[in-house]
Amino acid sequence: MARLAAKAVSKTYGATKALRRGDLEVEAGEVHVLIGSNGSGKSTLCKIVAGSVRPDNGELLFEGHPMVVSGPNAARKIGIGIFYQELSLAPHRTVAENILLSDLPGGVFVDRKALNTKAQRYIDLFKNVTGDNFHAGAIVETLRPDQRQLVEIMKALSSEAPILIFDEPTSALDRAQVDRFFEILRELKDDGRSIVFISHRMDEIFALGDRVTVIRDGETVATKRIAETDAAEVIRLMVGGDETLTAAEPHQPTAVAATAKTVLAVDALSGDGFGNVSFNVAAGEILGLGGLHGQGQSAVLRALFGATPPTSGTVLLNDKALASSSPRATINRGLAYISGDRRRDGVIAGRPILENVTPVHALKQRLSLATPSSLREKAKPALEALRTKFAGFSHPIGSLSGGNQQKIVIARWLIDRPDVLLLDDPTKGIDLQAKTDLFQLIRKLAAEGMAIVLYSSEDAELLGNADRILVFNGGSVTRELTGADRTPFNLYQAAYEAA
Amino acid sequence: MTTDLVAAQPARGNALKRAVERFPFLPALIILVVLLVLNGLYQPRSVSFIGLTGLIKTYLALMLLAIAQTYVVYAGDIDLSAGAIVSLVNVAIITAMDALGGGTGAVLAGLGIGLLVGLACGIVNGIVVATLRLQAIVATFATSIFFTGLALYVMPVAGTPAPTAFWRTYGGRILDIPFVLYAVIVLAVLLLVLARTKLALRLLSVGDDQQAAFQSGLPVTRIRLQGYALCGLFAALAAFCITGDTASGDPLVGGKMTLNSVAAVVLGGTALAGGFGTVTGSVIGALIIGLIGSLVFFVGTPSEWQNLVQGVAILLALMAGILVGRRASR
Ligand SMILES: Nc1ncnc2c1ncn2[C@@H]1O[C@H](COP(=O)(O)OP(=O)(O)OP(=O)(O)O)[C@@H](O)[C@H]1O
Ligand SMILES: [Mg+2]
Repeated sequence: MARLAAKAVSKTYGATKALRRGDLEVEAGEVHVLIGSNGSGKSTLCKIVAGSVRPDNGELLFEGHPMVVSGPNAARKIGIGIFYQELSLAPHRTVAENILLSDLPGGVFVDRKALNTKAQRYIDLFKNVTGDNFHAGAIVETLRPDQRQLVEIMKALSSEAPILIFDEPTSALDRAQVDRFFEILRELKDDGRSIVFISHRMDEIFALGDRVTVIRDGETVATKRIAETDAAEVIRLMVGGDETLTAAEPHQPTAVAATAKTVLAVDALSGDGFGNVSFNVAAGEILGLGGLHGQGQSAVLRALFGATPPTSGTVLLNDKALASSSPRATINRGLAYISGDRRRDGVIAGRPILENVTPVHALKQRLSLATPSSLREKAKPALEALRTKFAGFSHPIGSLSGGNQQKIVIARWLIDRPDVLLLDDPTKGIDLQAKTDLFQLIRKLAAEGMAIVLYSSEDAELLGNADRILVFNGGSVTRELTGADRTPFNLYQAAYEAA
Repeated sequence: MTTDLVAAQPARGNALKRAVERFPFLPALIILVVLLVLNGLYQPRSVSFIGLTGLIKTYLALMLLAIAQTYVVYAGDIDLSAGAIVSLVNVAIITAMDALGGGTGAVLAGLGIGLLVGLACGIVNGIVVATLRLQAIVATFATSIFFTGLALYVMPVAGTPAPTAFWRTYGGRILDIPFVLYAVIVLAVLLLVLARTKLALRLLSVGDDQQAAFQSGLPVTRIRLQGYALCGLFAALAAFCITGDTASGDPLVGGKMTLNSVAAVVLGGTALAGGFGTVTGSVIGALIIGLIGSLVFFVGTPSEWQNLVQGVAILLALMAGILVGRRASR
C-alpha cells in the first residue's frame, strides 16, 4: 500500500484546466520524480497534496485512509512538508524565523534561544556551501536567490514530515549546493521518508530518482521505474507522440569573424561584488560568463544594466560612452536584461499579462496612449516565438505556471530589438522544450547581429551556446575559454581553482 | 573562494547601514532630536522637565493610537476607524463613570468598560476585514462612520465632564513624579513584552507576504483579526489619555487623530505595505507630529498660516526620514 496516493484529482481556474486528472502514488523510502513541461500541472498537484489548493474532484489517501486536507497546516499535521517553487518566505524576517515560521518554538512568546539552536541544525546541514553572509540572523531579503532557495529547503526539512515535496528546489543552486542537497535527500530516503521531487534537469532526475511520474497537459500519463527507462522515453512521454523534441542539440559555436564590429566594450568595470572586469562583445557574438554561483557574474550584468550602477570603469556601446546610471537610461540606449530571478526583476505581480509584456515597448516607443488591441498585436509574435501557454492577455500573471511567467518576462524584450542582450541565468524553471526554443531564438538573434552576454548556472548551456566563456572567480575574470578549450573539464577546473 | 568576495567589497557606510537595519526608527530619532533642539532655541522652557512632561501628557494619546495603528499595519492592513474608536470609548467611559457616581470604583469600572468597548470595536474591524475579506481601507472607513454614529448616540453633545478623581490623577503627581511618567514606563514594559510575542512575529510575517504565510500554515485570518483586536485595545488606552487630558466627553474628539496616527507610523519608518517596522518608531513619529505642532506655535506663525506650515513641516520630516534611510542603505 502506498504511503501517499492522489487519485484523479483535478483543479480548474476559470477557463484554465490546471490539472485534469492527477494520479500519484508515493511509497515509503523512495524518491519519486514528477516531470512534465511548463504548465502541465506539477505545481498544482503538489499544492493540492500540501493543502494550499483545494481540489475540485478526486481523493487523497494517506496510508490507505482517505484524508481531508483543510489547509496547509492540516497537511503538515498529517505529515506533509513542502518546498514551494515560488518560495514561501517572509522577506523581512530572519533565516531562523523563516525556517521555523510554521512551528515557532515557545508558548505565547517566541523562545529565541530554541529558535536559533533549532534553526542552526538545519543551517548546519548545508555547512560550507551556503555562501557569504548566511546565518541564522540574516534577513532573507538580503540573501542571494540560491541562498533563499536554501532557506526554503531548510524550512521544508524542518517539518520533519514523513512525506516531503520539493517543487523545483534546485533551479538556483550551484553544483556544490545541489550535491549536498542530494546527499541529504538520500539519507532521508534511507530513513524511510517519501520524497517527491520536481526538476527539469534530466541528469538530476536520473541521479536521484527511484520512480518517475510523467504529467502531460494536466494528466498523469505514466509511472516508470527509473532503472527501467531512459531520458529519451521520458521525453517522449512528456511531449506525447505527436511532437518531436530536439533535446539540447549539440551546437558548434561559430567563431565570430575577427572583423565583426565591437558593440559593447567594457573596461576596468568595478562595483559591488566585482572588480576590474574588462571584455568586448562583437556583433553576432554570444559571450558566456561561467564559474560558481555568485562570483560576480550577475553583479556585472546588473551593473551594466544600471540596476546597481558600477562604481568605476568605462563602458562603450557602439563606440559611444554608456552611463549605466539607471535601467531607464540603458534600455533607451539599446540594452536588455533578462533575469532568472523573475520575482525580483521580472514579474509585475498582480497585473495582467498584457501589462507584463509591454512595459519596455512603452518606454522605448515613448507611448503615452495605446489601445490594448494594438499592444496585443505587438506582443503576440514574441509570445508565440516562445510557445507561451496562457488563457488570455487580461489574466493576471500570477495565474501562469512558473515557467510561463518567465517566458512572459523574456518576451517583453523581444518586441523591440535591443542591440545588446544581457542574460542573467535566464532559463531558471523553464522546461526542456522551452529552453531549446529559447536558445534557438538566442542564436538566431545573434546570427542577425545582436551582441549577447549569457550567464548560466548550467554548464551545458554555456558550452552549447557561447562562442567564448569568461570564468569568474571572487569577483573578477580568472580565465577565458575559447575555441577548443571550451570543454566541460576546463570549465569545471577553472571554476573551482583558487583565485 | 567565498571569503575573497567579502574582502573585495567596500566596507564604507556599513556601520550606518547595519544600525538602520537593526533600528529602522533611527532616521525618525534624528529628526526628533533636531526638533527638540529647535523647540529649545525658540522656547527654552519647552525642553525643561515640566515642558516635556506637558508634551507627553498632551501627546500620550496620539502615541498610543500610533501604536494601535502599527499592529494592523504590521500585517499590511490599516485601521481608518482608530480615531472613531477613541471617540466612542471616550463617551462610553464618561457616561458610565457618570452613571456609576464618579467615585474611584466608578472610574475603575469605567476603564474596564472602555477596554471592552475598544476590544469589541477591534474585533468588529477584524471580522469585516479578515473574515469577510473586504478592503481594509474602505471597510474601516465604513466602520469609523458606524462607531462615530454610536458615539453620537451615547452622547449627542460634547461637554459632560470627567469625574475629578480621573483627570486629577492623570494630570497629577504620585510621590512627586508626574503620573504620565509612570504611564510611559508601564507602556515601555508592555511594548517590550509584546514585541517578544509570537503574535508580533506572525503579524509581520503575514504583512511580509500573505500568500507565503498561508502556505506556511499560519492561520492568516485569525492573525489579522488578532491584530485588529490589539489595535482596538490600544485605541481604548489612547481614549483614556485623551479623556484625562481634556477632562470631558466629546463624541468627535478622536476624528482628527486617525490620519495623524497613520502619519506617525510612516514617520517612524514602518512600511505601510506591511512586514516591516517598529512600534518604537511610531511613538517617535507621534512625538515628531506633536513637536512640529508646538514649534509652529513657538515660532510665532500667524494663526491663519499654522495649518499650512504644519503640513509643510510634516512633509519635510517625511522626506528627511527617507533621505537618511536611503543614504544608509547605499
Ligand atoms: N492560481 C491560478 N490561477 C489560474 N491559473 C492557474 C493558477 N495556478 C496555475 N494555473 C494554471 O494551471 C496550469 C498548470 O500550472 P502549474 O503551475 O501546475 O504548472 P507546472 O507544471 O508546475 O509548470 P512549471 O514547470 O512551469 O512550474 C498552468 O497553465 C497555469 O497557467
Ligand atoms: Mg511549477
